[in-house]
Amino acid sequence: MINIAKTPLRKSILTALAALVLPFGAQAAADNAKDMHQLFEDNCASCHGSDHGGFLAPALNSETLKGRSPTALRSLIMTGSFDTLMPPFYGRLTDDQIRGLVSHLQSTPKLANPSWTIDDIKKSIKVYVSDESTLPEKPTYAIDSMDDVIGVAARGKYGRGSGSKAVFINSTTHKQIGEIPTGTAAHIIDYNPANPRWAYIKTDTAEIFKVDLYSMQAVRSVKTGFNGPGLGVSRDGKYIMAGSFVPHNAVILDADTLEPLKTFELEGIDPDGKMVSSDSGMVIGTPFDDIFAIALENAGQVWVVDLKEGFPVTKITDVGRHLHDAFLSHGGRKLMIASYDDSIVAAIDLKERKIIKKLEAGCVPHVGGGSAVEVDGRTLGFGTNFGDCDKTVVSVWDLDKMEVVKQIPVAGGTESPAAHANAPYVAVDIISKDRRARTVQLIDKKSLEVVKTLDVGGHAYFPEYSADGKFLYVSAGYSGDEVVVYDSTSLQKVASVSMESPAGIFSHGRVRYMTRGLSPDEMKGAK
Amino acid sequence: MKLILVTASLLLGLAAISNANAASIYAGQAKAEAVCSQCHGIKNPSAEAPFPPLAGRDADYLKTALKQYRDKTRQSDIMNAIAGSLSDDDISNVATYYARLKP
Repeated sequence: MINIAKTPLRKSILTALAALVLPFGAQAAADNAKDMHQLFEDNCASCHGSDHGGFLAPALNSETLKGRSPTALRSLIMTGSFDTLMPPFYGRLTDDQIRGLVSHLQSTPKLANPSWTIDDIKKSIKVYVSDESTLPEKPTYAIDSMDDVIGVAARGKYGRGSGSKAVFINSTTHKQIGEIPTGTAAHIIDYNPANPRWAYIKTDTAEIFKVDLYSMQAVRSVKTGFNGPGLGVSRDGKYIMAGSFVPHNAVILDADTLEPLKTFELEGIDPDGKMVSSDSGMVIGTPFDDIFAIALENAGQVWVVDLKEGFPVTKITDVGRHLHDAFLSHGGRKLMIASYDDSIVAAIDLKERKIIKKLEAGCVPHVGGGSAVEVDGRTLGFGTNFGDCDKTVVSVWDLDKMEVVKQIPVAGGTESPAAHANAPYVAVDIISKDRRARTVQLIDKKSLEVVKTLDVGGHAYFPEYSADGKFLYVSAGYSGDEVVVYDSTSLQKVASVSMESPAGIFSHGRVRYMTRGLSPDEMKGAK
Repeated sequence: MKLILVTASLLLGLAAISNANAASIYAGQAKAEAVCSQCHGIKNPSAEAPFPPLAGRDADYLKTALKQYRDKTRQSDIMNAIAGSLSDDDISNVATYYARLKP
């Protein structure tokens, strides 16, 4: 410390010093804010949203953190939050950085929708294999059918780093056949319906990797925004559509080169008559037609984009309040889309491009990939729901007549159902934040009752059947760090595959049966 | 009433046996999942994490280390705080559980 002297001379020196130091101090504060923003982007934004507006994890800004104790926030960052994906930053960030972040977050408002233009997208393309003719003609590993490939989105504990990758497994041997590092958490894996060698992985930070499954490597990547998992592939395998939470846009890409072809600003009038800018919900291609359907979450609209000159859009309005995910039925002609805030699933006819009916769907429906099975001549759809209010049920709908068949009580909130034409049970993941989160419940397809509860460990979620229906894969996520495999009839554990914080599981078989649970025959009527 | 008393004494007896006996790996698993795994993982910590793996480590080493953290003869802000919440039984259970795991 400066020893403040009492002589006038010393005083004048001090004044001079202060004059030098003060502007420097102001500069330091600005630098500090910039550093703190970078720290946020590098550690927090992939889950909490690049605009501080929340994404998978809560919004962190001056409004949402108002009145929160800085000490409590600091210790939450240090230790992480149990029963959530929030990891401990102790040892990764210094104490000064954590303190700085807390005060930065508590003083920063939610940012304006950032821009990420078609030029930004174009410039972000990276080419890892420039000559694709050099790629092998067949898989470089032993596999009977590419449908047997199962991809797992491994988030990595910190949502980024070397643990973040897509892991591919042969679902007949349960052995890993490859992995693609993704830098940040992999979220969605989609497969090209026209050519079994291509897969597309989308991360939480909105990069898309085009992957050659035969040689298990990424050949290209593109950054389509800052956050948002929405991804669909067209039935002819020529186009990809991606939608973002941040910014509020969507883009159609050439599936081969990843070149952006057209961007869409997501905005519209919501069911309450308000003009809103909107996050992207699900994006889906369908075997029914050369179209994409995309949900505008906040605007409550579904847009149908025709894959022809100019990519014209048909807007279906007033679908619901806060749309999220969806699944297809009837050869891909019917789209079942979940609406959080009014707890319905809306059935949309993609031929007529209008709403068929709105069906009761429990409480805060999240249908995940959805499931549909044929039982005794009826096509039944299964829908999970978060159950944030008082109802924790799995809804069963008759997808021919579009009516509710049953609401099956389950142990807690659920996030994703899995079914298969050859498996006796529909599996649903219980996500309620206590020991129930370790479990998956199994519903008998015929009796529509819960008949068994499996203790998988970790935070068990995203069940998925192998393409032949013989095995049930479940992610033991969070700190569970493995994917557990069960025999789908005896429900005995047969294998486990280690990886860091596994989440979504995506069978290549989905390209054949469109929606999990339907027989591949269902697809034949589509063309 | 008599039934309750008999049941209670049986339960007490069981508790005494499990205390006197070897550590419970089930209790160890529950504690490990609730307290340790957030940083150290179950089979492995994150590849990116600055925390050492615990699975497959020598049980006596783990017990000694946890007790040292608990009585602060080994210094670490965060481990002193966490180990401070563990009883002798907890330490024994957790150490036995992790020692039996294959990383």
